[in-house]
Amino acid sequence: MAEKILSMVLAGGKGERLYPLTQDRAKPAVPFGGVYRIIDFTLSNCLNSGIRRINLLTQYKSLSLNRHIMQGWNIFNPELDEFINLIPAQQRVGEDWYLGTADAIYQNIYVLQMDRPDLVLILSGDHIYKMNYMEMIAYHKKNKADLTVAVIEMDKSLSRHLGVLEVDEEFRVIGFEEKPAVPKTIPGQPDLILANMGVYVFNTEVLVRRVIEDAKNPDSQHDFGRNVIPAMIHQDRVYAYSFRDENKKVAKYWRDIGTIDAYYEASMDLISVDPQFNIYDQEWPIRTFHPPTPPAKTVFYEEHPGGRIGGVYSSLICHGCIISGGKVFRSILSPWVRVHSYAEVRDSILMEGVEVGRYARLNRVIVDKRVKIPEGYQIGFDLKEDARKFTVTESGIVVIPKGTLLA
Amino acid sequence: MEKILCVDDDLSLLRLYQEELTEEGYKVILARDGKEAMAKFEKEHPDLVIMDIRMPVMDGIETLTAMLGKNRQIPVILNTAYPQYRENFMTWGAEAYIIKSSDLTELKQTIRKVLDKRKKSKKS
Repeated sequence: MAEKILSMVLAGGKGERLYPLTQDRAKPAVPFGGVYRIIDFTLSNCLNSGIRRINLLTQYKSLSLNRHIMQGWNIFNPELDEFINLIPAQQRVGEDWYLGTADAIYQNIYVLQMDRPDLVLILSGDHIYKMNYMEMIAYHKKNKADLTVAVIEMDKSLSRHLGVLEVDEEFRVIGFEEKPAVPKTIPGQPDLILANMGVYVFNTEVLVRRVIEDAKNPDSQHDFGRNVIPAMIHQDRVYAYSFRDENKKVAKYWRDIGTIDAYYEASMDLISVDPQFNIYDQEWPIRTFHPPTPPAKTVFYEEHPGGRIGGVYSSLICHGCIISGGKVFRSILSPWVRVHSYAEVRDSILMEGVEVGRYARLNRVIVDKRVKIPEGYQIGFDLKEDARKFTVTESGIVVIPKGTLLA
Repeated sequence: MEKILCVDDDLSLLRLYQEELTEEGYKVILARDGKEAMAKFEKEHPDLVIMDIRMPVMDGIETLTAMLGKNRQIPVILNTAYPQYRENFMTWGAEAYIIKSSDLTELKQTIRKVLDKRKKSKKS
């Protein structure tokens, strides 16, 4: 009989560097690519891998995430022992919130006891990538490993932002360093490092023992990367699994969208001619909540000089949008966006329900849900002025948070 | 003097622990269920806890979790007539798991071992 696998998805990330997009929502609930939320990519990986027993561990600002899961992911069949459970931090074990990734599992040992799986697949709800977890699990079994850590090859210059694994010829892990300045490189490839993707397959009993030991260690930050894995490599069989990308591109794609600039860049990739991340592959569908909405529509084509034309160019445009006499270039429009006459939107991301008034102009702006841009309003042309009212990133992206009233 | 909190719903057994462990030089505190144990745990700050699993009001597993919630380093020795709880992940947070016996030799040895280990790790 096949072993029993339980997936634990860590979805409590605050995403502080994504502020103000995380002002009212946890990082996994941040909208991405028009119709998706960041969590959809990990959950689609589970679904496409045939893993349908999922516990989502939430804590900060979880309302938006809960609602999305209830609306879009309530698709599992309990009669087939399939489920997706939302498990908030319950303070069953003391009065702390989750102190780190390992502590999130420690505080939910009772969940593992109730389910008694053979293997636990620990995932992060923060990352964008396509991966078949069953291949990693087969590799874990073949190696008779206690823990398998998914890794992606990265240029060694990026080591200060990553957890870096050192492996022997058999890919058994012999070292693990968090954000090293001088990283250990891949045997035979002196320019590349193996970076931790935050995807772990654990034998359940080993996991339980190690997180309990970690919880009792007063010097630990209770993090898998910083504490648990380095402690394990000397006593357990820990292997690295080289990520096999289902994205079918030359370079492997895995992103931890940590900052607004990284968010903007990864979003804009989707509208390029040949995006690095392919959301159109029907063999790897990415699921999300699709409410019944009408098709997108453009309005006005007045051919006389000065006439109104509603047009969208080189953009991603979702259902329910109406581009009525305004123009949109190189932008991402979530559902229910309205762009009114003579308005111009360039290189921007407009989230659900945003309305752009007549003659308004936006340039390199992220506008969060349901903000109304008043008639004639301009954002993204005078960054000094914009910075007095809004977040402006290092690369000059202006962010208008949810609930902003403009006049 | 090292302080030991003994938790069991069997009063005669508690009396036995009190007598024998006092003789060993420990200060012994008694509680008859998990709820009473938590109250004494928070008031008395014992160095070690010996606890039964099957108890009324609040059982030993729930009490163990609650104690670890207050102090993750507290050593708890589970002392039960039932070996099958050993499989339960929720008991793995305990420092030791002992099958109940009227002969307290194993219990006493384990107490000494656990307390010595604590002393050592505190020093280092």
